[in-house]
Amino acid sequence: MADLTRRGLLAAGALTLLAGCGDDQPRQQAADGKPQGTVNVWLHGSQDTGRQFQELVHRYMADFQIDVRLLYLPVGQLDAKLLTAFSGGTPPDVFKIGHWSFPAHAKKKRLAPVDTKALPLQNYEPGTTAPLTYQNVPYGVPIDFNPCMLYYRKDRFKEAGLDPDKPPSTWEEVAEYSAKLTSKDRKRVGLQWLYGDPQWALMMLTALIQGQGGKFPSLATEHGINALTYMSGMGNPKLSNPLGALGLFYSGEAAMVVSGAFLGPALEKLGKDKLTFGKQYGVAPMPTWAGGQSVVPAYTWGWGVAKDSPNQFTSWHFVNYMQGAPSVTANLDNGIIIPTKGWREAGPRGKSEIMKIVADSLPHVDFGPIIPGTLELAKAAAGAVDSVAHGKSTPDQAAATFDSTVRLIQ
Amino acid sequence: MRILRAAWLIAAVGTMLLPVYVMLVVASAPDDTDLRGLVFNGFHLPDNIGVLFGEGNLPIYLRNSLILCVGTGLLDVIFSAAAGYAMAQLSFPGRRVLFALVVGTLALTPMVLVIPVFLIVKEFGWVNTFQGMMVPGMISAFGVFLVRQFALGIPKELLLAARVDGAGEFRIFARIAVPLLKPALITLFLVHFLAQWDNLLWPLIVANEQELWPLPVGLANFQSEVGVTYHLTTTAALVTAVPPFILMVALQRYYVAGLTFGGLKR
Amino acid sequence: MRTRPQATAGVALTLPVAVFFVVFWLVPFLAAIYLSFTDYEMAGTPNWIGLANYERMFADPGFLNSAWITVVYTVCTVVPTIVLALLVAVPLSKPGRLNRWLRALVMIPAVMPLAATSMVWVIIYSDRGLANTLLGLVGVEPQSWLTSSDLAIWALVVMVVWKSMGLFVIILTAGLQALPGEVYEAAAIDGSGAVTTFTRITIPLLRRTLLFVLVISVAGSMQAFVPAFLLTGGGPADATQVLPYYIWANAFPYEHMGYAAAMGMVLLVAMVIVSALQFGFLKGGDE
Repeated sequence: MADLTRRGLLAAGALTLLAGCGDDQPRQQAADGKPQGTVNVWLHGSQDTGRQFQELVHRYMADFQIDVRLLYLPVGQLDAKLLTAFSGGTPPDVFKIGHWSFPAHAKKKRLAPVDTKALPLQNYEPGTTAPLTYQNVPYGVPIDFNPCMLYYRKDRFKEAGLDPDKPPSTWEEVAEYSAKLTSKDRKRVGLQWLYGDPQWALMMLTALIQGQGGKFPSLATEHGINALTYMSGMGNPKLSNPLGALGLFYSGEAAMVVSGAFLGPALEKLGKDKLTFGKQYGVAPMPTWAGGQSVVPAYTWGWGVAKDSPNQFTSWHFVNYMQGAPSVTANLDNGIIIPTKGWREAGPRGKSEIMKIVADSLPHVDFGPIIPGTLELAKAAAGAVDSVAHGKSTPDQAAATFDSTVRLIQ
Repeated sequence: MRILRAAWLIAAVGTMLLPVYVMLVVASAPDDTDLRGLVFNGFHLPDNIGVLFGEGNLPIYLRNSLILCVGTGLLDVIFSAAAGYAMAQLSFPGRRVLFALVVGTLALTPMVLVIPVFLIVKEFGWVNTFQGMMVPGMISAFGVFLVRQFALGIPKELLLAARVDGAGEFRIFARIAVPLLKPALITLFLVHFLAQWDNLLWPLIVANEQELWPLPVGLANFQSEVGVTYHLTTTAALVTAVPPFILMVALQRYYVAGLTFGGLKR
Repeated sequence: MRTRPQATAGVALTLPVAVFFVVFWLVPFLAAIYLSFTDYEMAGTPNWIGLANYERMFADPGFLNSAWITVVYTVCTVVPTIVLALLVAVPLSKPGRLNRWLRALVMIPAVMPLAATSMVWVIIYSDRGLANTLLGLVGVEPQSWLTSSDLAIWALVVMVVWKSMGLFVIILTAGLQALPGEVYEAAAIDGSGAVTTFTRITIPLLRRTLLFVLVISVAGSMQAFVPAFLLTGGGPADATQVLPYYIWANAFPYEHMGYAAAMGMVLLVAMVIVSALQFGFLKGGDE
């Protein structure tokens, strides 16, 4: 028995390690030019746009005689499943992931470049495919594109004696208004940050530091310390709500919050009649430092295709179809932007004030550092912001920790 | 003294059950405005369950969870009974090594093994199958350990007498040991069932279609799509808690005895 | 005394388990040991980098923080759980109708899925939840249980103690009921008090059961990943980032598989040492 065990062990061990190495050979591709076969798609679902999406998939399957298999996954576990599948060489053909995941996957040669025969990239608003591009090769197209803006509660402004039609336009004003809007026990605050949210921390630091003319990602600089100090000067990390800061904005405990275009329609749905745009709340463009330049941080989800997919042309063909006019309209109705050219004309919501702010901010959009270690960078950013907010470290200490982490990442 | 003891016990057990009561109250609420969970505000539990499983996948998730938990539970009982008994009562080459191997795995952190195990499962062609979800969690070190501890209490004289009567080792195992081990085996089944019932990550990683999903994956996906509404997620929690609860009530008589190490000796 | 039929039967009965543990535990474990000496990032070929991953740990504030939190977490869940379980189990092991009922009820938290219990505790700890309501009754102002970096770890500990207590009460009750009654009668005749009886007679006789409970609960706490994952997500400000959680985050999504494997090995060694201490401490009654 001992013998058998040892041999089996060696064989299985060798096998494990071999499989771990993977192979760099591209798979045999189906003939270009004609969509065919099967496409496996992994994505996370949303009740709002899910039905429309599925109808469109069925239409695509009927029109092109293609078998599309959708797998909806819980968003919190998507990364673990996708990474395991990649390292086992069994990824799906198409997947929807955050822009922050693209550089790492691209660097590790897991992604197929966009097949421009199947998907014309010039249809997209300039700049919106930038975070999905790595070393000048485009690897994906954006869906659910969100530049940041400032949401504010008009009712809370009135209560505090502030003009409900004059939202703050500079960070200095945000601080001043926040002070007036914060109650003594800090149960009600002015601007509330999205504590513990890595991507958000990264975006806010990008805006606050680059807006001063500084350079991110580094915090142990004058601009970096300023940003951390500024962030710790308002909001209350101990406030809790099942929907986080956005829930606190909905309840009115937070009078201001920085969020994306999706929040408006989400509030309408949540609040029914209680919370209407223009009455109880309004939006304003992302603040800038007084006299500083405009930096609008943004994030987007993107469609990617696996390099190991045997059916890349069809995959991109499918993605292109799913990004077509019917989707743009249906998504826009729910405040979700697919930034193909002319997206604002795709539906009545395109004319809304929120979407006007999005359109105006396009030239100033900044997706932050686009490097393979973005996820970790974001986690470190949240760590710095949170530890200062919770009083666990001073801005100087947090900045030093952050910078030493960044050195490990790069 | 007796009254004091009873009062202490009722207070202690009552405190332990308070969260369960809160769960019932919140799961039966029409919305999530009152979160104290102390007073029932109507009984909307059936409606909430309806909202949860409007898509109609609940029966599939339930079926898969039962296949997964009962299937691997039975396998664990069979294999752990055999191995645990042998390790406690039989002398054979490699016994110590095997015991070290089994106990050693109790100390292993499963997260660093996910990728290697996945690669092995893939090599067997088991990605996206029930085997793939079930086999890697089929036998638990806990089970082998538990049965062994219990089997140490089987009186040697009993086995010796059977041997003198000319019974074969397998016969002794099946006819004498297994009946004596019954409480431990039922305990093991319950513990295994509970652990698998909670298993979210591995099925999620191995299964590539919803048809194969067990309950925890289905519920995680529901939360991810709909967002957090306290009364509905609590309803979901309540739904997942019911089958283990039924099992516990049904098997209660046995598992208490199954945890009595050394009890057999006297 | 080894006989041929016994040896044959022993090998045959343990063979499936042996094969299983070799294929699904030992081989992956050896792979993980190998990976812990490499820079494997879940793509490409792993490169041998010697002890670099192990050296990195001691300069990594994330690791040091997590290791410390795991120590605190383990001590503060294991000790209260076992003490409380004993306090309930001793009176509960006496015969009686009421006790039979209570023994059934005490198991309910233990059989609830962790995912379900976490959800309930999130509600209990919410701003207007039960925890703050009860505090209000004694005039203490509401606390931010899960969003305060000082309180979150204790909130987690309370939930885990509550969750694991039931099973331990049952195990200890079963162990207590199996103790020989004559010893107690003798003790009663000698006139020893309840406390003396407990420390001099009950505890020593209960050694094997206590060892089992201790080993299972320490191993469970040192590997606990799910409670932090579900209740706090490791936050706020990493206050509940136990080591298994940190290992998980380094593997998924950061893909530092080599580093994660190395931390897994350190955790393994720590657990082996702690287990050995426990066996040494409570030795006897076994083997």
